[in-house]
Amino acid sequence: MKLPKKLMGMALAATAALGLAVPASAQDQSVIETIKQDGVIRIGLSLFVPWSMRNKNGDLIGYELDVGRKLAEDMGVEVEFTPTAWDGIIPALVSGNFDVIISGMSYTPQRNLTVNFSNPYAFTGLAILANKDMTAGMSLEDMNSPDVTFAARRGATPAVVIAEKFPKAKLLLFDEDGASTQEVLNGNAHATMASQPTPNREVGRNPDVLTVIEAPLFDPRGEGFVMRKGDPDALNYFNNWIAQQWRTGWLEERHNYWFATEDWADQVAQ
Amino acid sequence: MPNVQKFFSRLRWPDYLIVAVLIVFFGYIWFSIEGTLNYKWRWELIPSYIIGWHSGREEYFANLLLQGLMATIRISIYASILALILGTILGVARCSANLTVRMLARTYLEFLRNIPPVVVVFIFFFFLSQQLIDALNLARWSRGIARQEDIWLWKFFFGDMRRFPSLISGVIVLALFESAFVGEIVRAGIQSIPKGQREAARSIGMSRTQELRYIVLPQAMRKVVPPMANQFITLIKDSSIISLISVQELTYKTVELVASSRMIFEAWITTATFYFIVCFGLSRLFARLEKGTKSR
Repeated sequence: MKLPKKLMGMALAATAALGLAVPASAQDQSVIETIKQDGVIRIGLSLFVPWSMRNKNGDLIGYELDVGRKLAEDMGVEVEFTPTAWDGIIPALVSGNFDVIISGMSYTPQRNLTVNFSNPYAFTGLAILANKDMTAGMSLEDMNSPDVTFAARRGATPAVVIAEKFPKAKLLLFDEDGASTQEVLNGNAHATMASQPTPNREVGRNPDVLTVIEAPLFDPRGEGFVMRKGDPDALNYFNNWIAQQWRTGWLEERHNYWFATEDWADQVAQ
Repeated sequence: MPNVQKFFSRLRWPDYLIVAVLIVFFGYIWFSIEGTLNYKWRWELIPSYIIGWHSGREEYFANLLLQGLMATIRISIYASILALILGTILGVARCSANLTVRMLARTYLEFLRNIPPVVVVFIFFFFLSQQLIDALNLARWSRGIARQEDIWLWKFFFGDMRRFPSLISGVIVLALFESAFVGEIVRAGIQSIPKGQREAARSIGMSRTQELRYIVLPQAMRKVVPPMANQFITLIKDSSIISLISVQELTYKTVELVASSRMIFEAWITTATFYFIVCFGLSRLFARLEKGTKSR
């Protein structure tokens, strides 16, 4: 009699575990309706200069924040920004933690399999930020060698592009961009890759040590709003909003302010 | 002063040698770091990220790091209360006469003991606390409060009410995780009660529940205070794991600060100091309390 009782205990435990693991059914309603009902749009983002960052007052500022606030204003609702770790931002969107990701997420075929992208509200490309002394006299081809070390943020586009374009080089992965840049500064890595204008700004800060390798921008892409699949209403709304903001020149003006000028720099401890 | 003199008079030459070797060792490490590290230290900025002067509101306010520290303290307190309750239930279940109950508790414990905390945190977050928060519609409820005026009491206990659901999921995840270890401590406490005590309780006609409630648990709980205090300190340190699910506690706020200001080392060293002060302070406090109860 002992064994069946034991087995039943196990079976019970297994059922309990399974019951917990069944995810709640996805909402059928468009996210636009939820936003109207709640009177709030919840925007997920991951901090990344100058897209979004904390200023000296601990408040969020950046291109993304301007876009998000204007979007909410035009919809006539409040805005709630949810800073989220980059690794978990897509799972958090899919599980319904927020309505849309506005976080400089560039379109990739892999990402698009899981989530929907709106039309681009920004365009960027990657440039190589290198240690001046270590890469002196190197061409792009020379950098594809086992003696060269790259540093990049885990899971971000640069890491993928580096692995693709410089398959022979070593690649060190970090959890945020500050660490990769620091490794290049310290001479532990030859170079890192980042969206412009970050490389140019880093060179401006450390002109003796860093340089941007002359090359056409790698992997030029558009960054779009990211939302859950199966929601044509949201896609339509955001696409039209973005198109309208391009036409009026508002997006371009804001993009220039954050990416081409340094007028905002004194708000942040850089 | 006499104490200090006494302290120095007790030192012999090997002690001085050890101190000298340590100084040279750390000096060498520091020197080589300074030589190879291309880093501009900006310690002067750190205090303003603890308590800053708000340029808009014209007042002092708790900036990122202090906000994070407060959140960590809040989460640790709530999570340890919840973990204590769940852990006690689990500990009692582990000693239950019913095999199924015992097996269930054992399964839970073995799962948590043999899966890395990071994985446990993700599983609990997406499959459990997230569902619970959606089911109770906590997000809408807390937003309703956040929109009201004069909510300092809510703010004191839970911080920013718009982040309330994430705080709660952090507390739940952490409590579920720690409850397994609290449960083990409680079980050890219960089993340390001599059999005679239980037999005596039964012989005067107490039911099993009464026996547990009046005889076993009061003694067991008193016995497990030291390991429990230890577990509480561990919980504070473990709370840094829930930064992975973007709960806005100390570690997460530090990540944000580093991402915004590139003060990698200053920010992390400050955060480490915060954790150390809280944990070490508590361990001294508990040690003193324990001494007090012993001498009584």
